[in-house]
Amino acid sequence: MTEPVIEIVDVVKWLGKGAAQVQALKGVSLALKGGELTLLMGPSGSGKTTLLSILGCMLTPTHGTVRMRGRSTEGAGPEALAKLRREHVGFVFQSYHLFPTLTASDNVRLALDVRGENSARAVGKASDALAMVGLAHKRDAFPLELSGGEQQRVAIARAIVGQPSAVLADEPTAALDGENGNAIMALLAEIAKDSSRGVLVVAHDARILRFADRVVHIEDGCIVGDRRGDAALENDQSDCAISS
Amino acid sequence: MSLIYRLASRNLLHDRLRFIATVIGIVFSILLVTVQLGLYLGFGRIVTTMIDHASADLWIMPPGTKCFEDPSTLDERTRFQALSINGVAQAAPVVIGYAEWRIAAGGTFPVFIVGSDLREGGLLPWNLVEGSLEALAIPGAVAVDRSYFDRLGVEGIGANAEIRGQKVEVRAVTSGIRSFTTTPYVFTTLDRARAFTGTAANKATYFLVRVAPGADVESVRHRLMANLSDVDVLTAAEFRDRSRSFWLFGTGAGFALFAGALLGMIVGTVIVAQTLYSSTKDHINEFATLRAIGSSGIYIHKVIICQALISAVIGFCLAAGIGLLVVAATADTALPIVMTPALTLVLLFLTLVMCVISAVAAILQVMRIDPVMVFTR
Repeated sequence: MTEPVIEIVDVVKWLGKGAAQVQALKGVSLALKGGELTLLMGPSGSGKTTLLSILGCMLTPTHGTVRMRGRSTEGAGPEALAKLRREHVGFVFQSYHLFPTLTASDNVRLALDVRGENSARAVGKASDALAMVGLAHKRDAFPLELSGGEQQRVAIARAIVGQPSAVLADEPTAALDGENGNAIMALLAEIAKDSSRGVLVVAHDARILRFADRVVHIEDGCIVGDRRGDAALENDQSDCAISS
Repeated sequence: MSLIYRLASRNLLHDRLRFIATVIGIVFSILLVTVQLGLYLGFGRIVTTMIDHASADLWIMPPGTKCFEDPSTLDERTRFQALSINGVAQAAPVVIGYAEWRIAAGGTFPVFIVGSDLREGGLLPWNLVEGSLEALAIPGAVAVDRSYFDRLGVEGIGANAEIRGQKVEVRAVTSGIRSFTTTPYVFTTLDRARAFTGTAANKATYFLVRVAPGADVESVRHRLMANLSDVDVLTAAEFRDRSRSFWLFGTGAGFALFAGALLGMIVGTVIVAQTLYSSTKDHINEFATLRAIGSSGIYIHKVIICQALISAVIGFCLAAGIGLLVVAATADTALPIVMTPALTLVLLFLTLVMCVISAVAAILQVMRIDPVMVFTR
C-alpha cells in the first residue's frame, strides 16, 4: 500500500471569533493517495474549502494532525507552511488567479521562481508544462488573450510544473462550459495517473463524477461518504472521521 | 532573469498614470533635496572664497574671529613678532571693512573693502578680465567685479566714484568674485583700504603667514601661538571650517537648508509610500496567489522593494537631469547651486533609501495577506 501524499487525522477547525465562531470541520480524517483523482463534493458551507485549505497547508487545524509525505506539519509557522506548499502542493483555482501582466510561460515559471529556480532550465520546464496541457503555441500570450479554458490550462501547468506531491483544485470547471470543463477534468485525470501524485478536486457538478477514482462527500464539517471505483458514483451516508 | 523584476515593473506600469504621478513626486522631492543640499554646498564654498584665494599657510587674526568678514583688528607689532619667529617667511597684512561707495551720478551703495600690499601679496584680486594688478598702484585705483557694474554705477575701466570722501577709479575688473552678502568686494592697496575703512595706519585685520621652504606648518603654528598673545593662528583649512560653521550654523542658514532637504525627503517618502501602498492593494489578489503557491514572505517583499527601486532609479535620473539644468542656471548667481559627484551619489543613495522606506507600509500590508482568500475571490 502506498504512503498517502497528504493525510489529515481527526482534524477539527474552528473559524471566526466570539459569538461568530463556527466549527467548520468536526474531526475529519482523510488520506490523499498518489495515482488517484479524488472528488470532494458537498453543499455550500459544508467545509470543502476549509478542508482544501488544511490539506494545502494554507490553514492549520485547531486540533488534529496533518502529514505531508508522512511528516507532521504540527508547529509549522507561516513560512514553513509556505515552503511545504511550494515543494509539495500545486493549486488550481476556480478563477484561475493568473497574473495578467505576465505571459502564459511566465505565469507557469512563477511556480518555479518562488522556489528559487530561475535558470534557463526553468524556462524549459515551463514550456514542457505548457506543452503537456496543449498550450505550447500560446506560451507568449497574456491571460486576457486566452479563453477561460486556456487560462485554466495555464493554471494547471503552473500547478504541475514543480512536480508537486498533490494537486488541489478548487472547482476548476465552475467557470467553464461543459466542453471545456470536461477537457480540464480529463487533463486532471491524466495528471492523476502519475502514482507519485494525488489530485483532489472540489466540485459541485455531478457530471464530472466519471473522471473520479474516488468521491468524498462532506456535509456540515463531517465526511459522510467515501467511495472508490464504481462505487464512487453511489451516494453514501457515514459518520465523521472516515479514513481510508 | 528572476521574475521579480518583471513582476515589479509590470505592476508599476499596469497603472501608468499613477506611475507617472509617482515619478513626478520623486522628481520634485529629489529636486528639492538637490537644491537644498546644492545651496548648502554652494553657500559653504562662497563664504570661504576669500580664504580659498589667499596665498597663506597660516592666518593670524584677532581672537574669536568668526569669519573672514569679521572686521576686528590686530596691531602691526604682532606682524613683526611673527616675522621674528623661526619658519615664518612672510606675514602679509590684509585690511578689510565695510565702506560706502558714492556713485558719481548720485546715490550710495555699501561695499566690502579688501586691501593688501601689492608687493607682498596676501589677498589680491584674481580672475582679472580688464586692467592689471600693477594698475592698482595708481592713486585711487580699485578693482571691482563686472557683475556689480550696475549696482556700483560704473561701466568699466576708468569709471569714477567716491569712498569716504576720496575719489576712486576702477583700474582693474574681475569676473566671478561675488559676495553671498550681495555687498560687492572692492580690492585696493593696503593703505587705501585703511583710509576707506577708517582703520589706523598701524592696524590690520589679518596677517597672512607663508612659512619658509621646508618648514613644517604645524610647528610654525605652535611657535606662533606660543609667542603671540591675544591672537588666533589658524591654518587655511581651519579658518575655512570656522567661517563655514559660523555662516551655516551660527546664522541658522545651514539648518534651514537641511530642514528643507529633510522636508523634501519626507514628502518624497510619503508620495512613494502612498503609491506603493495603493499599488499593492490593487494587486492584493496576485500577492495572495503568490503566497498560496508557496512564495516566501521575502520573495513578495523583494517584488515590492523592486517596485520601489525602479521608481527610485527612474525618478532619480530625471531629477538629476533637471538638477543639472538648475545648476547651470544658477552658476553665475550670487549663490550658485553646486552639484558634485559625491553629492550626486549621496542623492542617489537618499533616493534609494527613501523609496525602500516607502515600501514598508506596503510590505506590512502584504504580511497580513491570508492565502486562503484566493478561494473566495
